[in-house]
Amino acid sequence: MKISIETKTLANGLKVVIAPDTTAPVVTVGVYYKIGFRLEPRGRSGFAHLFEHMMFQGSANAPKMQHIKLINSSGGTLNGSTHYDVTNYFESVPSNALERVLWLEADRMRALKVDDENLRNQRDVVKEEVRVNVLNQPYGGFPWLDLPPVAFRNWANAHNFYGDFADLDSASLADVQSFFKTYYAPNNAVLLILGDVKPDEGIALAQKYFGDIPACAEPPFADPREPEQTEERRGEVEEKFGTLPALAIGYTVPPRRTTDWCAIALLDQALHGGRAGRMYRHLVLEKQVAVEVDGGIEDIFGYNGPTQMVTKILHKPEFTSDATLAEFDSVICDIQQDGITQDELVQLKVKFRSDYYSTLEGGHGGMPRYGLMHLLACFSLFDNEPQLVNTVLDGFLAVKREDIQAVAKKYLRNDKRAIVFRRPANAQAQEAA
Amino acid sequence: MATRAAAEMPASVPPLSDERQVAWPKRIKARLANGLAVVLVESHTIPKFHGELFLRLGNAAASHHAPGLAEMTATVVRTGTAKRPSRQIEEDLRRLGADLSSHAGADNSAIAFAGLSELAEPLLELVSELAREAAFPEPEFERERRQRLEEVKLDRTQPGFLASERLRKVLFGAHPYAHVAPTEEQVAAYKLGDLLSVYRDFYTPENAMVLMVGDFDSAAMLKTIEKVFGAWTGKKPAIPAAPEPVKPSGRRVHLVHVPGAVQAQILAGCHAITRKHPDWIKLALTNSLYGGAFNSRLVMNIREDKGYTYSPRSSVNPLRQYGYFSISAAVRNDVVAASLTEIFYELDKLRALPVPEPELADARNYVSGVFSLGLATQDGLLSQLATVALNDLPDDYLETYREKVRILTPDDLLSTARKYFDSANMQIIVVGDRTQIEPQAALFGDLDVYDAHGKRLN
Repeated sequence: MKISIETKTLANGLKVVIAPDTTAPVVTVGVYYKIGFRLEPRGRSGFAHLFEHMMFQGSANAPKMQHIKLINSSGGTLNGSTHYDVTNYFESVPSNALERVLWLEADRMRALKVDDENLRNQRDVVKEEVRVNVLNQPYGGFPWLDLPPVAFRNWANAHNFYGDFADLDSASLADVQSFFKTYYAPNNAVLLILGDVKPDEGIALAQKYFGDIPACAEPPFADPREPEQTEERRGEVEEKFGTLPALAIGYTVPPRRTTDWCAIALLDQALHGGRAGRMYRHLVLEKQVAVEVDGGIEDIFGYNGPTQMVTKILHKPEFTSDATLAEFDSVICDIQQDGITQDELVQLKVKFRSDYYSTLEGGHGGMPRYGLMHLLACFSLFDNEPQLVNTVLDGFLAVKREDIQAVAKKYLRNDKRAIVFRRPANAQAQEAA
Repeated sequence: MATRAAAEMPASVPPLSDERQVAWPKRIKARLANGLAVVLVESHTIPKFHGELFLRLGNAAASHHAPGLAEMTATVVRTGTAKRPSRQIEEDLRRLGADLSSHAGADNSAIAFAGLSELAEPLLELVSELAREAAFPEPEFERERRQRLEEVKLDRTQPGFLASERLRKVLFGAHPYAHVAPTEEQVAAYKLGDLLSVYRDFYTPENAMVLMVGDFDSAAMLKTIEKVFGAWTGKKPAIPAAPEPVKPSGRRVHLVHVPGAVQAQILAGCHAITRKHPDWIKLALTNSLYGGAFNSRLVMNIREDKGYTYSPRSSVNPLRQYGYFSISAAVRNDVVAASLTEIFYELDKLRALPVPEPELADARNYVSGVFSLGLATQDGLLSQLATVALNDLPDDYLETYREKVRILTPDDLLSTARKYFDSANMQIIVVGDRTQIEPQAALFGDLDVYDAHGKRLN
């Protein structure tokens, strides 16, 4: 399968990527900015995400409500999301609304126009988001908010990405405008148009709406590098609602686009690939220690700094966490000692390829080609090479058995890992009852 | 600040250009001699396909055994066949680059699958094996039952689950739709023999339908399906009628007490209609305008204006025999009464005043547009086709949907809201810490308090 791609960089530094496909009269537009959780200012944890909300609150020519109204009333859906190294804004619309979407995205890239009332309103909304997803949910934030502070030493990688409420409260309108000026510049972004669009038209429209937005100084980037880890790191978090003890184990993975990275992706598939994966098979099906096991390298193409392969386990209360960890360790030990079979490797590669196709087509809440958009954006911003969507798979399909065993030995070491235990607060009360 | 007087569109907004017509994909509808219904649609976006084998009976029809028994049956179906043990099934799926899940809801059981086009036939063979020759190994059943026990305990710690469980009980009473999940005791009492009898009754070609969307030649795929499923035999079972639910009368509040909750989950609902009902599209549009879209009145009010909640939404929930309308919002503890006030304000406003034509035009565009977006991926298209097939909707349902949306008028919405947004009889569920929210909740009707296990506390 070959994705046809046109690219152009405008004079102001905005990268433009067009992926035409006219089978359905719909188009997906994305704008990705190279700014995420890692880069938010100290004392302002959660700011990158709060800021993402502010981008829907009004721009120079489209006041509050208009962003949402204009997209919905054109028959489309929209959203945004904050990641470790990027923040994205995206819309899927019937293709007759393409110009309108580009106008809107350009308007908010050019000038955000928000006030204190908008900020107060979205701060309240974000707090309810944190409550509904973390503070009032069993296993909320487990392990994505629990593990980084245990695993990492660099604040950029280790802080609370959703934000401490005190930090959210101290965020000011001046912070919002300064963050916007620093990071939301055309030369720090990529515009993607996918679907029912002709490449030359798409590029002409990008020039028309975005061409005169002035470039900014190159934004400063926090150094996300971690000091060498030489000891196992452990932490505990109380589980307020859930009934089962849980643990998560994370190993820092090799840098992206290396041969080790390709090998560890297949190792990840061997360990975490659903019910055939070694973790699920051993812990849930055979030993029956765990109720839920999943994990892996999340969004493997979408990060640009230290990240982990994480195994998340909810286990039965009659097993101790030590006993559960011992069963986990036996799976790791087994693959380090014996590697995988040729037949297993063949299966892993077929599944990896099949999953990759699904990622490209992938919807996100009904948005066609969200996955393709995400990959094109990350390959543009991190590698300046969007064409990687057509070649990146080759590296994974070239992995050999011995590569997988080698990365298992090299990276899945106790002194390179972090473990978080999530312990139910009411476990004893329940046992007694 | 204008939820109630939406700002005019800025002058510089580019107009919409002419709409491109949807090119409807090639479709085959067939029925094999054994009764198996087949729907195939070509979609060449990626070299894969998505499919689903539906058995048109689910937990409701198995409820004389126990709640959730069709779901348990579906779970154990994938754990072994006459030819393959559990481990081989999972490895073969991986070898085929496939994903598969077997599950059941209130009205249907299903085996959903997706795989590479080049490996379609062996995947269909595996699906057929699961549907016809599942072995129900005793140790696998025991393991899954033990697993399910822990899962139902976990469910009871989730505010969203507790809210929907209570709402379904209140709306459906003695009807099997009242049960969204079994209790621990019911799971503990599951019997392998009951699973086998559900499997024997439900998993038959006369009761089944296979839908596939993807990168294949549909005529050739039909031949493959005949080859794989042609020898399957079995009749459609007779299912005893369930008692008709009594619609609750008068607004009532049902508080589920979760000590220490730092937020209140509101879920309000009333009886509505099924997907087959002639008013369905009117209700879908009215719902979208009320709380079914980001741009809806409810979201603009309690999120974008007041900041009470992150994720307010309303939805129409069609089950095969009955449907219901519901509104949900997780709000901070001190604004439970304020949120409910706005929820009812917006409901009653739609029941009292016609929707202004420009707002209606926006909502029509939205419903019609997102419908088109849903056709652009294989799994999106599959789910639209499943809706049509499972509800026996007309063959041109998808083709004519957008036109039916476009002709609706303010009067249609007013009469629909009056008919189905049953404000006076709305049942209000609030899941949260009673010490924080009970006096506020009690303002909205007579109040019953339950614990997370359904025990009455007041």
